[in-house]
Order: sequence, then C-alpha cells, then structure tokens
Amino acid sequence: MTPIIKVNDLKKTYKVYKNHKGYFGVLRNLFDRKYDLIHAVDGISFEIEPGELVGYIGPNGAGKSTTIKMLTGLLVPSSGSLMANHQVPWKDRKDYVKHIGAVFGQRTTLWWDLPLSDSFDLLKHIYEIPEEVHKTNLGLFREILELDAFIDSPVRTLSLGQRMRADLCAALLHNPTLVFLDEPTIGLDVVAKQRIREFIQFINAEKQTTILLTTHDIIDIAKLCERVMVIDHGKILYDGRLETLLSTYGGSRLLTVEFAEFYPQPTLEDAAIIRMDGNTVLYSFQKQDVSASKLIQRLSNQYRISDLEVRDQPIEDTIREIYEKQLLYNQPHGKENSTS
Amino acid sequence: MLKSFKMLNRLLHNQIKSQLQYPVSFIMEVLSSIAIMGFFFVAFALTLDRFGQIAGWTVGEVAFIWGITEASFGLMDMLFSGFDYDTFGPMVRKGQFDQLLLRPVNITLQVLGSSFILRRLGRIIEGMIIFIYGLTLIDVMWTFEKIVYIPIIMVSQVLFFGSLFIIGTTTTFWTTERLEILNIFTYGGSEIMSYPMHIFPRAIRVLFTFVVPAIFLSYFPAVFILDKADPLNAPRIASFLAPVIALIMFWLAIRFWHFGIRNYQSTGS
Repeated sequence: MTPIIKVNDLKKTYKVYKNHKGYFGVLRNLFDRKYDLIHAVDGISFEIEPGELVGYIGPNGAGKSTTIKMLTGLLVPSSGSLMANHQVPWKDRKDYVKHIGAVFGQRTTLWWDLPLSDSFDLLKHIYEIPEEVHKTNLGLFREILELDAFIDSPVRTLSLGQRMRADLCAALLHNPTLVFLDEPTIGLDVVAKQRIREFIQFINAEKQTTILLTTHDIIDIAKLCERVMVIDHGKILYDGRLETLLSTYGGSRLLTVEFAEFYPQPTLEDAAIIRMDGNTVLYSFQKQDVSASKLIQRLSNQYRISDLEVRDQPIEDTIREIYEKQLLYNQPHGKENSTS
Repeated sequence: MLKSFKMLNRLLHNQIKSQLQYPVSFIMEVLSSIAIMGFFFVAFALTLDRFGQIAGWTVGEVAFIWGITEASFGLMDMLFSGFDYDTFGPMVRKGQFDQLLLRPVNITLQVLGSSFILRRLGRIIEGMIIFIYGLTLIDVMWTFEKIVYIPIIMVSQVLFFGSLFIIGTTTTFWTTERLEILNIFTYGGSEIMSYPMHIFPRAIRVLFTFVVPAIFLSYFPAVFILDKADPLNAPRIASFLAPVIALIMFWLAIRFWHFGIRNYQSTGS
C-alpha cells in the first residue's frame, strides 16, 4: 500500500520578533525588527498508511500544532517534503481541504449564532456533499453522537461536550479520507470523552478513515491507537507501539503498605518512599530492579504489616516521566516502525 | 462565478438571519445610528446657515456630497464588515481565520461572508436623507450624464473605502497590535470627503490627492455635477476619474491581501 501521508525531513523555523514597546513601538515594529529563530519542527520523517489511527503526543510546545498546521495546509514548511492524500497540502489549498477533515478542540467551525442544523446545512453546500451522502451521514452521526437533543439550538448555547460532538460531526460529513483531530477531548468529562472515543473508533473502523490524533490525554491514545509518535523539541523521539513504549520506560510500579504500627522511617531497599500518611506509606520501585514478592518479603522481615497493594504506575505518570526525565533522549533512537 | 455568488449569498443570508433574531433591538440600533450620525450634519448645517456658505458652497451643495459619502461609507461598512479591522483582527488571533482556510471555498469570499453588519443600514438611510435634502436645495441643470454619474460615484466610493479596509486589515498579518494610524485614511477619509476639499490646508489636500486619492471620489465629481468653479484649477478630466481610481485601488488592495495571506501561511501567527 502506498502511504497516505509521507513526511520527509520536514522543518519549520519561526522568526519570533522582539517587539518594540511604547507608543511608537508599533510603528517601529513595521520597519525595524529583531528576531530569534525557533525550530518548531526540526526535521521529522514518518509515513502513515491508509486506515491507520495514529496518536501524536508530546509536551506543550513540542511541535505538534505546527506539524498539524503543515499537514492541513495552513502553514508552508521551511524545508523538507510532505505529501498527504497524494497532494502537497499548501499548493492547491481549496482542492486539498475537500478531502480532509480537521477538528481543533479549542475552536469551532460552526456558526455561533445559528441553530446547529443550519451549520450542517451550510457545510453541505460548502463541501458540495451529494444530498444522499449528507443525509446518510448526518442520520448516522446524529444517532451515535446523540445530537438530536440540541440540533435546533444555537451553537453558542451548547455545552463544551455538545459542541465538540457537533464539531466532530461537522468535520466528517463530507467523508474525508484523512482526518486530523487536535485535542478532541480537551476539557470534557469522563462520559463525554468516552462517547467521543467510541465515535473516533467507529469512523476509523467503519469508514477506513485515516486519523491522526493529537492529545494530552494519554487514555485517548491507550484506548484508540496502536501506534504512537512522540515529538519533543521538534524531533520525533519515538514511533511505534504504545505498549512497547510503556514496557520500555514504564517499569515503575507502586506499592502501598499499611503498617500495623507507626514507623518514623520505614526505609526499604530498592524502593523509594513517595508519600507517607500516618501508618500508610506509598513506595515506588522499578520492575527490572526488584520483584514485588522480594520486596514484600523484605518488608515483613523488617516491619509489622497489616495490608498492602501493588499496582503498575498509571500510564499518564509514565508518559509524564518520559517527558520530564527526557528518557527518550538517552536512547540512540527510540524508533520502532509499526507494521499495520 | 455564479457558484461563488450563490455561496456568498448563503453565507450572508445566515449572517442576516442571526442578526434579526432580536428584531426590536435591531430596529432601535438602526434608528439610533440615524439619529447620532445625522446630528453631526444638523450641527454643521445650523452653523453654516449663519454664514450662508462655506468657500462658495451652500448648505445644499455640501449636503449633496456629505450624503453621498455617508451613504457609500455606510454601504461599504456593511458589505465589507468582514474586512473591518475590529472583526478580522480577533478572527486571526482566535484561529477562526484558520478554520476558514480549512474550507474548500475562496478565502476572500469567505471573509466577505463572515460578517455583514446589518445595522449599518442606519448610516445608509441617514446618508440618503441628507443627500435628498441636498437635492431639494440645489439648483442644478440636470443632464443624462450627471444623473448616470451619481450611482457610479457611489459604487466607486464603496470600492475606494473597501480598498482602504482591505489594506488596513491585511496589516493584521504582520502586526498583532492595532494600527490606529490607518484610521486616518478610512474614517478620516470619509470625513474629509464630506466637505468641499478646497477648504482644507494644502498639506491635507496633497495627502488626500496623491497618497490616498480621496479627492477624485467626491470633490472633483461634485465640481462637475454641481457646476462649481474649481479654485484648485484641476484639469476637467479629474471629475471623471472616480471609477478608474476606485478600480485601480481595489485591484492593488486585493493584490496586497493575497500577498498578506501568503505571508501568513509561511510565517504563522
């Protein structure tokens, strides 16, 4: 299969201008400007096959949005090549965007003051969606996303969760082959998040839509994506299966112990105390350093225990650790190409 | 072309629909803008009445160009409200402009369709009232050419002011802050065009002749229609350049606008 997205050594360098302050500063800015060069995306390469659902993650300012902006044709790269849907996105913008969909969680594409159904109707004309296709898709999405309760309300009156569902529907009405989702679950409650995840999964499975998902919510990735790309400082640090990433770097486990009596310093070899709360102490240890049974044995030799629990560190914490400790930088290159 | 027109029509229809949700408040807005803007003329006319005329122009003659300029500016402010700095600036900052770029429709058309401030009707009506008031006072030998030229002047003024709006708004792509100075040409231009321009000091006339050629859009055409003597001694053709200058400016403005968009796509914001 030929890849639907092919990115090769893509770079985007911004000039960040230092603005002059003051009343005449605004005018001076027009003629005399000093700037810093920021390498927002610094030579990334990857390929995505049709039908893949890929997670694209990284800390704030890593270069995610800049990548998405180039992929959607909003930004022209500084260098490198980029083909998506067999087109160069920014070359023929109007033609390219006909076949893609994009949802930016922080923004809406809907008409603020009009009933939601009017927006869907306008989009039919904007994308020149055939009547039957529009009707079928809208019917289907209304049902899955449960839009009927508010489809006649003006968009400005919708809750964030309702608006996000509406925006997802709007982005997919024209059957795009390639969809970019940027933080589609941001600010939503657990139930709303779950509904949106199910919808994304449905679209990917039923319509074979290729989806690139950017998110800060690692649970989104864990539930939806087999493949994940991690970007930081404009470089892709990891490209492969999420489980591989987690098992390589997420060796941390947590051990909660409730002691039968109070110990001021309940130290334990190979384990670090994270939190103490009276008789209850939380330890963290590395899977590869020591086994849980060994630790428990040591504990019962040294102290009197009334209860304990061992669990894996939550994925969010693992990912945060990977970012914070820059674990991926210590590897020659954390690359493992997925085969899907 | 027809498809584009239909699209624009649809977008504007929706703009109007959302603004008419509260009809009473809409009507109040229109009436109050007629009253407020009209008051400026009333104040001016009362003052002028004491002296009978200003540099050879009567109240009726000033009302004639005042009314035309006011109505054209109002019409432009309604049609081009998407290019109004106050609308477009926030649109770029909030990323709504990106949302427009993600749609398979001509971007200029979408910006035109992104806003349509219907309450500008107030200013258009106010301008027309002043214009008609002026017509009742002036004593002109009407010819076919003169009657045909009036709507041409108005369309030219709409394009002229629209060009200034587009140029002003395009600077948004470079500056995030507001460039108040450009208001000298848009709002200041419409102010200056409401008066017979030979009353102004030379420096202002030069500015509005050679930098922003506003003088060709109201004063010179009025000299022809009202059969006034021209103390500036401009060649007779100056009276008929309004549509030419308007089209050239509009062409330049659109070129600059496209240049701005290309720059935006290569620099981001």
